[in-house]
Amino acid sequence: MPKAGLVIGAGIAGVQAALDLADQGFTVYLVEKNPSIGGRMAQLDKTFPTLDCAACIMTPKMVDAGRHKNIKLLTFSEIKGISRKGKDFRVKILRKPRYVDETKCTGCGACAQLCPVEVPNDFDERMGVRNAIYVPFPQAVPLIYTIDKENCLECDLCKNVCGVNAINYDQQPQEIEIEVGAIIVATGFNLFDSRKKEEYGYGVYDNVITGLALERLLSASGPTGGHVVRPSDGRIPKKVAFIQCVGSRDEKSGNTYCSRVCCMYATKEAELVKEHVAGVDVKIYYMDIRAFGKGFEEFYQRAKEEFKINYVKGRVAEIIEEPSTKNLLIRAENIELGEPIEDQVDMVILSSGLVPAATNDLEKILLIKIGEDGFFAASNPKVDPVTTSIEGVFIAGVAEGPKDIPDAVTQASAAAMKASILLKE
Amino acid sequence: MPEQFEPKILGFLCNWCSYAGADLAGVSRIQYPTNMRIIRTMCSGRVDPTHVLEAFKSGVDGVLVTGCHIGDCHYITGNLACQKRVEFLKKVLEEIGIDPRRLRLEWVSASEGGKFARIVKEMIEDIKKLGPSPFRKEAIGVEASA
Amino acid sequence: MEKIEPSTEEKPRIGVFICQCGINIGGIVKVPEVVKYAQTLPHVVYAEDNIYTCSAEGIASIKEAIKEKNLNRVVVASCTPRTHEPLFRNACQDAGLNPYLFTFANIREHCSWVHMHEPEKATEKAKDIVRMAAARASFLNPQEEAEVQVDPSALVIGGGISGITAANCLANQGFKVFLVEKEKELGGMLRNIYKFYPTDEEVSHILEPMINSVKSHKNIETLTSTTVKNVEGYIGNFVVTIAKEGEKEENKFKVGTIIVATGAVEFEPIDKYGYGKYDRVLTQVQLERILQGGRQALGKFVKPKTVAMIQCVGAREEKAPRAYCSRICCMVAVKNAMQIKEWYPDANVYIIYQDLQTYGKDYEEHHRKAKDAGIKFINYTRERPAEVTQDTGKKLNLKVYHALLGEETQLDCDLVVLSTPLIQHQEGKDLSKILKVPIGPDEFFLEAHVKLRPVDFATDGIYVCGTAHGPKDVGESIAQAYAVASRAAGPMANRKVRTEAITAFVNRDLCVGCRMCEKLCPFGAHKIEEGKSTVIEAICKGCGICAAACLRRAITMRHFTDDQILAEIKTAFLSESSVGGL
Repeated sequence: MPKAGLVIGAGIAGVQAALDLADQGFTVYLVEKNPSIGGRMAQLDKTFPTLDCAACIMTPKMVDAGRHKNIKLLTFSEIKGISRKGKDFRVKILRKPRYVDETKCTGCGACAQLCPVEVPNDFDERMGVRNAIYVPFPQAVPLIYTIDKENCLECDLCKNVCGVNAINYDQQPQEIEIEVGAIIVATGFNLFDSRKKEEYGYGVYDNVITGLALERLLSASGPTGGHVVRPSDGRIPKKVAFIQCVGSRDEKSGNTYCSRVCCMYATKEAELVKEHVAGVDVKIYYMDIRAFGKGFEEFYQRAKEEFKINYVKGRVAEIIEEPSTKNLLIRAENIELGEPIEDQVDMVILSSGLVPAATNDLEKILLIKIGEDGFFAASNPKVDPVTTSIEGVFIAGVAEGPKDIPDAVTQASAAAMKASILLKE
Repeated sequence: MPEQFEPKILGFLCNWCSYAGADLAGVSRIQYPTNMRIIRTMCSGRVDPTHVLEAFKSGVDGVLVTGCHIGDCHYITGNLACQKRVEFLKKVLEEIGIDPRRLRLEWVSASEGGKFARIVKEMIEDIKKLGPSPFRKEAIGVEASA
Repeated sequence: MEKIEPSTEEKPRIGVFICQCGINIGGIVKVPEVVKYAQTLPHVVYAEDNIYTCSAEGIASIKEAIKEKNLNRVVVASCTPRTHEPLFRNACQDAGLNPYLFTFANIREHCSWVHMHEPEKATEKAKDIVRMAAARASFLNPQEEAEVQVDPSALVIGGGISGITAANCLANQGFKVFLVEKEKELGGMLRNIYKFYPTDEEVSHILEPMINSVKSHKNIETLTSTTVKNVEGYIGNFVVTIAKEGEKEENKFKVGTIIVATGAVEFEPIDKYGYGKYDRVLTQVQLERILQGGRQALGKFVKPKTVAMIQCVGAREEKAPRAYCSRICCMVAVKNAMQIKEWYPDANVYIIYQDLQTYGKDYEEHHRKAKDAGIKFINYTRERPAEVTQDTGKKLNLKVYHALLGEETQLDCDLVVLSTPLIQHQEGKDLSKILKVPIGPDEFFLEAHVKLRPVDFATDGIYVCGTAHGPKDVGESIAQAYAVASRAAGPMANRKVRTEAITAFVNRDLCVGCRMCEKLCPFGAHKIEEGKSTVIEAICKGCGICAAACLRRAITMRHFTDDQILAEIKTAFLSESSVGGL
């Protein structure tokens, strides 16, 4: 009897690993803490260097994972404990209550239409709103609504309009236990908390945002319908600056590693800003441009030559907000010219680095060795990039370290391969 | 009271991008007028020039062909084939006395719900200005029989 | 599969199910009116409405109606087929009806939700949409997804680190592997390399055991001094022809999947910076070969007092094919610079770079270590490259504009090492033609999708890994080799793949062999047999490009036939003009 596998985290890496194993005939439990699978890639507008629409290329994979007969999707769920059973694992999973009956909800959305509560939504990096009963985004898998009990007024408007009586305020958390032969950890990343770089004013100045927040502004299905506007006054910016290596390659912030994708995502976003806003001036303040992947160098050259994006080799010392206009003054050093720079712009995008998303609790449960940089450590990053210090537990995607989508997908398939050998035993 | 001319517009949408874009317009509740009827194909490369001509023969006033953006085609080169055919079709339309502006080609991605709605609205206005198709007659819709 | 005929024997008996979707549709569109209208349509023998057709009750209702009313076609008018088509197809299948005799009418996303303030017109439009779907339904035919047997064996082309790793993984998963390598020895590029970065392990310590593992694995047949001459067939059923060097006889065998792991070679920068002219100007690989001999070997070649490494030589150029960054050269330079410094601590070692690609979590650390060890980094720009000349002795004079200091720098070097890109080789280009898989503008093999399918080719059953796909280091190559073993395992583990039911079909009586379909097909699914085209159904993806192109109307697209599409076109509007007005 072939064993089942467990994949923790349903971003693009988790989804790919689950699909590979499921296609080989294994049962896979795909556990995701959010109400929908999709992870960070679902938040992106376009991907570099092809400028594919992220949602367009990802949703078919998400739908496949949601429908696959061998994949058991456990969304809005968390791992509570893992213990050994011989070579296998016994895993306790907590299914958090949605207060909506999963077996009844058809995703029709009539409830959200009537919900009077609006709160900032995480999916739009808090630049947009959602209701107390919500799906995180329209293409969510599964397309089942969830009630945010903290903000719910229990006004019954949703309950009364639901044609299948799916709303249940009394739903209880459910703990289940499964037995698996292999585990793949694909818990992804959060952005570096840019408030730690106090000199850049993130969290204080309205018009200093992260690259991920910009993705939501750029997205046609985002909070501004794809219009790049300043958070302070909704006006279209005329001058935009990107700052690289925020929370990366930086002793002071505690992250000395390079986050690997920021040069490329800033270049991509800079191009998209140029496409969205006619005549906008875009500068990127950088240390090194790391355009090492397939098609990356060509993409970067195009950004310089065709899109006329201005790359300035310089370290930004501080950003100061002009209180009446909320414009921003950048103080930097142009390393090439050896001169100080003062640059007034309307909006600053921080290319914040990647930090691991796995919570402390999960790390304690998994017991995998963690590197100095906080990411899960591969046993030998050279010749065995997906194996960890615990036999039977593999890692994939940014959980192992910052990387782009193709490298995450590759690593996910690699982890699936290793897991499949164990599951066959 | 003179009745206003309401264009009949037929849209060919590819399954992977443009149909999804039209779906998103719906999900986002973006409103547009009711003049369009949609035919779904797997790829814009399936859109046959003879079908488009048949559509005009059946009396539609405008035909919208949509597909994935160049480079994004699920079948790699389908939209390129479609582009060439539409170019050729426009010339044919001109020859047979149909204003080539009645045929419109657009690339719509799955996240461009707003764009889809905008294109539909624009096209309705454009076709209103061009007036009814010279091929329009009464009693058109031929019932299909097996 | 057989020829398509409109179903003349059996008259269509269409059942129409119209969904209220709670208030989403029913709140705007007058669903009962649409049901009444549907009942008047040709061949519609049954119509009903449901609150939620996708609910358990709705599905049960469909199944019941199929049985009770003897339906042989089903139309559901509700939301979008993109989410719900499989659900309703399964419902039909469960009730004994071929799932391709079902069709969808979108009256929510394309109607009620976008015409919320025009309920009258929305209702009329919904009637039109249902009428179109019913007309299409009457022309539907049953379809079968065929199964193609997959031989649980793989051909791995290339015996470098990627090929060896892929072969080992596949063999460990229980599949038979043929590993073909053109050289006499396995190992590929790594046979020239001294140590790995950033771990500093000696290559031979890792490579030798892996090669032995391959040679002794019972599932792997290793064929060295052998090249692939020809490949025919399709996934699960490739027929491979190979030839051994020096032998006339060719061998043929069958495999289920193919892995391309043919690697890359170093670009030789003839005449750049004195390469080929001056003895002491080397490439990184040439340096590695010397380093393999240890400190003595390096000292014998040259006692390094001042060493300069120039990055981006012949890479990141203005035009293809070498417009790309070769990803690994900065780390290779750092690694070799550190090695030289370790053996000769008094040596001055310079790395002359444009952008330092010490990316990611481990490599940035290594960059810092290099700086701490005293390696000096000089930044230069593409517009002002370095110059290398040799004076009367063997000493090399290097001049470069130091971009960060803003001044001309001169170095008298004993050794200049040029970091050049990895490039595709002729055998790789030849193989791309044999396998009919594409290479990109950088001349490396081009995958199915740069983001989401990095190791698949568009052609099913063929995969790529390692530097054949593009420059990358050993860790990244191994990750890709693991990945292809997972991708190829899918079809092989199941011993079969389901082919698309929506495929093209060529009527050979009408075909004149113009080969337009063969030329246009992105997947190579058309084969010319006896002067006429045949579709290889296992490869066909159902796009329909060929059907629209065939001037003889010889090609039909199953499930999207001309009749079906024309039926929709002809019933889209009626003279009573559901759009109102004229």
